[in-house]
Amino acid sequence: MAEIAQDSGGGQKKGGKVRSKKMSTRIDFTPMVDLGFLLITFFMLTTTLAKPNIMALVMPEKDKIKEEDIEPVKESKVLTLLLGDKDKVYYYEGITDAKLDSTDFAAEGVRQVILNKMDKVKAQFGLEDYKKKNKEGVEEDLKGSFINVIIKPMKGSRYKNLVDALDEMAICKVRYYVILDVSKLEEDFVKNPAAGLKFSAEAQLEAATK
Amino acid sequence: MPKHKPKRGAPSIDMTAMCDVAFLLLTFFMLTAKSKPQETVIVDTPTSISETKLPDAGTLTVLVSKEGKVFLDMAGSHTRTELISDVNTRYNLGLTQEDAVRFANVGSFGVSRAQLKQWLRMDPAERGKIQTDGIPIDTADVNKSELADWIHNARLAQFRLKQEGKVKDEYVMVVKADADTPYESVQKVINTLVDINVNKFNLITTSEGKPGGE
Repeated sequence: MAEIAQDSGGGQKKGGKVRSKKMSTRIDFTPMVDLGFLLITFFMLTTTLAKPNIMALVMPEKDKIKEEDIEPVKESKVLTLLLGDKDKVYYYEGITDAKLDSTDFAAEGVRQVILNKMDKVKAQFGLEDYKKKNKEGVEEDLKGSFINVIIKPMKGSRYKNLVDALDEMAICKVRYYVILDVSKLEEDFVKNPAAGLKFSAEAQLEAATK
Repeated sequence: MPKHKPKRGAPSIDMTAMCDVAFLLLTFFMLTAKSKPQETVIVDTPTSISETKLPDAGTLTVLVSKEGKVFLDMAGSHTRTELISDVNTRYNLGLTQEDAVRFANVGSFGVSRAQLKQWLRMDPAERGKIQTDGIPIDTADVNKSELADWIHNARLAQFRLKQEGKVKDEYVMVVKADADTPYESVQKVINTLVDINVNKFNLITTSEGKPGGE
């Protein structure tokens, strides 16, 4: 392709001086343009694709939770997820007579647990109204069932578990969730589920505001 | 009437202009592409469905390796210079001007304050090879925690420069941890951040398909 086109018309003139052949300097630029655009594509893709995804996380402020800010939550709306080792999830509902169960992060695992809990809350309390700004910044009136999820990663769990749990919150559209430290009582509960969770509401509140 | 003869041969187009444009764009993208500074630690971030992209503003990144070692990286050599001179005078690290320049360009670092001088004076190739212990975190007393100190001072430096109009944004706090990092290590970092009143931060993830193929 990249040939230099030669002027073929001329030839030698009769009787004239012997002139050197004139070469036209017309170069086919097509391959060069090809290469240029290939490189452009490469740099464009690498600059935009290099940006990693993020997941925003807001932690409760320390020391600034005032007495009047604490709003009691219905026990029957609470679901506690304990993230254990080997990617296991232990969970219990409410506090009184809590039964410990375990599941995992498969699609039919913890997601189903959350959705079931949502259905249960919906059956009991119905849907609640809430306002949410949509992508255009306009507030929309929406309805949803609200549950409160407490995520407590335990010793032996890995970072991936936490991110997966937060993902499930986003997938199931859980509006209220919080990451808290696991308590001794819960660790014992996981070790010995038959003994039950001896968790007073006061202890839970204390642990939450600590 | 003479028959209209179709032109023989390929029509030749002058590619010069196109070539000019192509290379102009190429130059532009090459110059704007930020060269990725060498990372002292490899971190495989977990996957998530989140599709939010990291904002363009300067980031202050805490890296947590698989072993739970903590590294720190921040954007903007201006802020880094400001930060290191500030830390140098406060803790009497004995760093020279050259050390400060090195610090401004070094990328992520994970050494204690006491070892910083020695680490900065290493040969860059050697520096990439050796294993550092990460920035120490004191979980009991936040005032003694070096990580808390670094983050706090970096944010202050960035804020000062913003007031002076030298940088555009305040730092966006980013936590980048390995998928296999034990939660305790991440917890230490998160607690440190909450302790110094950084309650909003971003976890770096890699994208994964939404369930149900949405």
